[in-house]
This record gives sequence, C-alpha cells and structure tokens, in this order.
Amino acid sequence: MSETQRVGEVIEASSTDFTAQCYELYDSPSLGSLVKTRDADVELYGVVYQAATTSLEPGRRPIARGKDEASEEAVYQSNPQLLKLLKSEFGTLVVGHRQGDKLNHYLPPQPARIHGFVYLCSPEEVREFSLSFAFLNILVNAHLPISTEELTSATLRQMSQVHQDRRSFLVAAGKELALLIGGNLNQLKAILGRIQT
Amino acid sequence: MSLDLDKVFPQVGDMVAGLKSDAAQRQQRLKFALDTLHNQADNLSHLARKINSSKTTWLIAGLVDGFDRQIKAPPAPSEFTILAADGSHIDVDRHRSPRCYLINIGSVVLQYGGSPDATLDSFPHLYSSDEELVITPNGDKIREQVVEGTLLGIKRGVDECCQLAELATELPEDSPGLALVDGTLVLWGLEAYPEFVTEALLDKGFLSHLSRIKGLNSNGREIALASYISFPRSTEVVNALRLALCPHDVLDTDLHCRDCQERKCEMVAGIRDRDLFSELLGQGERSCLFTSRSKIVDKKYPEEHRIYFFYLRVDDETARVEIPKWVATDEDLLNLTHSLILDQCQRGQGYPVALSEAHEQAVVTGADRENFWRLVESLLVDEHLPSLSSAKSRSKRTRWV
Repeated sequence: MSETQRVGEVIEASSTDFTAQCYELYDSPSLGSLVKTRDADVELYGVVYQAATTSLEPGRRPIARGKDEASEEAVYQSNPQLLKLLKSEFGTLVVGHRQGDKLNHYLPPQPARIHGFVYLCSPEEVREFSLSFAFLNILVNAHLPISTEELTSATLRQMSQVHQDRRSFLVAAGKELALLIGGNLNQLKAILGRIQT
Repeated sequence: MSLDLDKVFPQVGDMVAGLKSDAAQRQQRLKFALDTLHNQADNLSHLARKINSSKTTWLIAGLVDGFDRQIKAPPAPSEFTILAADGSHIDVDRHRSPRCYLINIGSVVLQYGGSPDATLDSFPHLYSSDEELVITPNGDKIREQVVEGTLLGIKRGVDECCQLAELATELPEDSPGLALVDGTLVLWGLEAYPEFVTEALLDKGFLSHLSRIKGLNSNGREIALASYISFPRSTEVVNALRLALCPHDVLDTDLHCRDCQERKCEMVAGIRDRDLFSELLGQGERSCLFTSRSKIVDKKYPEEHRIYFFYLRVDDETARVEIPKWVATDEDLLNLTHSLILDQCQRGQGYPVALSEAHEQAVVTGADRENFWRLVESLLVDEHLPSLSSAKSRSKRTRWV
C-alpha cells in the first residue's frame, strides 16, 4: 500500500462535506478515517462519516440472487455484470485544510472540486493533523445521519493508532471533549465509553 | 387534463368479461391446434408440398426438420462469452430546427467461467449532415428518402448489428460466443421502400455485418448469432396448420377463401404460435426449426443468411429465437444458441440478462430527450444561431389556462 493511497473521486461537494465514489467496489476507507482532496492550492481534510454500496442507477434495486449458489463469491461469478452495476460511496465531513504551509482546523474558503481525487492520509499526516484537537468542535456540532458520539469516537480511535502513546492521545482528547461538551454529560460519557483502551 | 379513469373503468370491465367468456372456446381451439400439429407431423412431405405450392395472403412457416418435436437443451459450455447490443434513438423533430437524429447503442460483453468479467458501454452518435439525414440513389436527389420514423428504426437495427460485429472481432479465440440482439432479424419494414434503400441498409449494412460475424467462425472458433423475441405475436406455424386443415390441395386465398363455406381453418383462429408451443414444450425445450418465408427474406437475403427460427420455453414464457441459416445448419452453433439463450434467461429472471443490460445502457428517457434538446438549443444560442421551433411545440412546452 502506498503512503498516500487514492481511494475515490469527489462526486458531490458543499462547504461542510463531500461525497466520493470509490474506484473499487466495497473499497471505502474505514469510518473515522482522515482523507484529503485538493482544490487548486488548498488541501481539504475530511473525516469519513458514512459509507454505502448501492445500485448505480437509483431505479434499479439489487435483488437476492444466491438461493441456488454455494457461496457469496459464486453469486458474483455467475453474474459478472453485478460489479459494474453497483457503486460504493463514502461521505466525508470537512474538518480542516492546508493552505501553503499552514494547517487550519476549520472550514476552507471553498468546497472540494467535483472529480477531485480523494486520498487516504498517511500516518504522518494523521499525526500532524491530530496534534491539535481544534477539529473536535466541528465533529461534535455536525448534523449528520450518524450520531456525533459514534463519529467522534471512531475518528479518535482511528487517529490514536498513529500515535506512539495511544492512551495519552485519547486521554488528551477526552479532556478537550470535557471542555467542549461538559454540559452534556450523557454525550461525553457515550464518547469516552467508546474510546477506552 | 389527465385521463379520466372513471370513464374508462366500465370499458375495461367489458373487455375482461369478453376475455372470460372466450376462454373455454379458446382452450378448445388450442387443443384442436395441438392435435392437428401432432397429426400433420406424420405426413410432413405432403404439408411441405402444399406450403410451397399455395399462394396465401398470410405468412406460413417453412418446414425444416419436423413439426412437433421437443428438443431438450444441451449442456452449456463451462467457458463462454455473450455479446449483446440494443439501441434507442431520438427521432428528427419536425417542430424544431436544426434537423438531426441521435442513435444510442448499448453494448454488453459478459464473460462466464474461470475469469468472469463484464463490459457495459453505450455509444451515442448524432447524425446531422445532409448525407446522413437522407438516403439518395446515386446522386438522384429527387428520389431521396428521409431517414426518420420507420426508416430510422431500421437504421438503428443495422447499427446494433454493426456494434455486435465490432464486439465479436475482439472475442477471445478459445471461448465460444453468442451474439444477441432483441427483436427480429427480418427487416420487414424495408418492403415499403425503394430498392436503393434496401441496398443501403440491408445489403451494405445488415447483411454485411452478419457476414462479418459468420466469417469469424474459423479455425475451431465458434460464434453464433441470434435474435430474441419475448412474447412473440407471430402465427406462422399456426398458419401452416390452417393450410393443413384447408380442403384445397393447392390454396390460393384470393381465389378460394371468399366463397369457402366450410372454413375449417377457423378452428385454429386466434391462436398464436406461442400458445401452441407453450402447450407442447417443457421447461428449457425448443421446438424444431422453421424458416421465415417472408417476402424480404425470399427476395433479398442470400442463401447463407436466410432466417430460421424456433420457439423456446423458459418458465412461463415461450420466446421466439431467430437465427441465420449458417447457425441453423451448424449443429454446434445451433446447440450453443439453444443452451446459452436458456442459460441467459435463467440468469436474468426469464429474459436474457445481456439483452436486459444492453437495453439499460441504450435507453433514452423522456428526461434525456429534453436534456438533449436543451443542450442543442444552448449551444445554438452561444453561437448566436437561430433556434427555431414551431408554435405548436412551444404551446406544448408552455401550457396555460
């Protein structure tokens, strides 16, 4: 796997988020992964908050095909067109951007470009991005189909993997969250419960 | 104003009641037709002579290798490739300028076996030059035929076959293949047009593409070609039964039918070939072969491409499969056609999956048409060219009270 792996292409974008289509079926980055795309000289960073595999055409729903097949693999072997009729997409919440040498943990001036390539950030980039927890503010205030608790905890779990002292990273993140959402103990408890090592 | 279904309701009720009351009589006719089919199978040479010598206004199937045989499907090979092409078009709109038409050909290559793969694609082509909008006999502009309506439909069929021939040339040599189109291989519509149109679309078009596909069958390579007609309405085999029931040895419908009192042929009236073979054939079985004796095939198709057909039972449907003579007379290609079409239907919920996907690639929806014309108009406006449309067309697009 290359250090910066290309995982898809932007097909829908707004100031706060973008949706990318994967090049390979089922090949979307994990929930909470840090990805990036580029708009001219600005690099946009986002956190994967949702992934879905659906029919390429909205009016055509997949139907069950495996009744007489021995394995799930055989369903695709017997129907080679299926791989060309389905698509995997992932939704990304924009959590920061890099302009020149400056890394900012707030929204960029412009949304991502349609057909912009989307890359999985390398461990070094994830480490650099997560040196500041300023992005947590965007995560805990986002209105998404996924709950804030699930997305925030998934993101922190992913990020913690690139830090040598995983526990210290998560404890620091927990303290930052206590400042941000201390007034909502249930939410704080739910997140902390999901990032315990 | 939308359709007033309240007013339609009693009429639909009458129609359904009529169908219900006819059902018993229809079943009786079908049984009689089936008995006649079996009876005639014992004396085929007599019926074949009668078919060849009679002159009828209705189309009768030519006999080849039997009448009531039921042929089981041979096993499909382990590795094979299915090619399919289907088309859709945007016709010339006489209410708009500029004059142009668009043909969108959808194509599918499905590879089965050890390394399954699929290629789905579409090829839209816009025709707008003077030479493309008309077919002209050797510079004689007065007799030119405008390519629109029925003629455009025929041209689309030719383009589908052309696409199949292109795909077939790229097939791997070691894997048998079947090229499939939807509909008929008999270009009936051309009968209404002058000779030079037939030459342009049939001789230089359709038949040349068939020849290209046939030519790929060499050095052990096997590529069959067939067209598939779902829910066929043809009555050619039933018409052969009508002729068999006729008391005249040599029938001339113009001479004999008007004053005929007996009308024994009415005993099978209203029955279609698909009804007959749905009763006769078991799941996956095909009928014996028949030939199309239509005028255009008789006069214009060379011997090698003369059209044969058989009926194939797949679940609740009996479909008609048409093949050129070079497939019908080659046992391997014929068996390949039978087994692979059946296999395709089984994979595709009763209809060949490759044709279904080719259609999906080709289809041009109402919204696509609107978008196409909007694109044409916006580019005309960009170039400061007049974008004219008829008052009638404008009134349909801008409705008011």
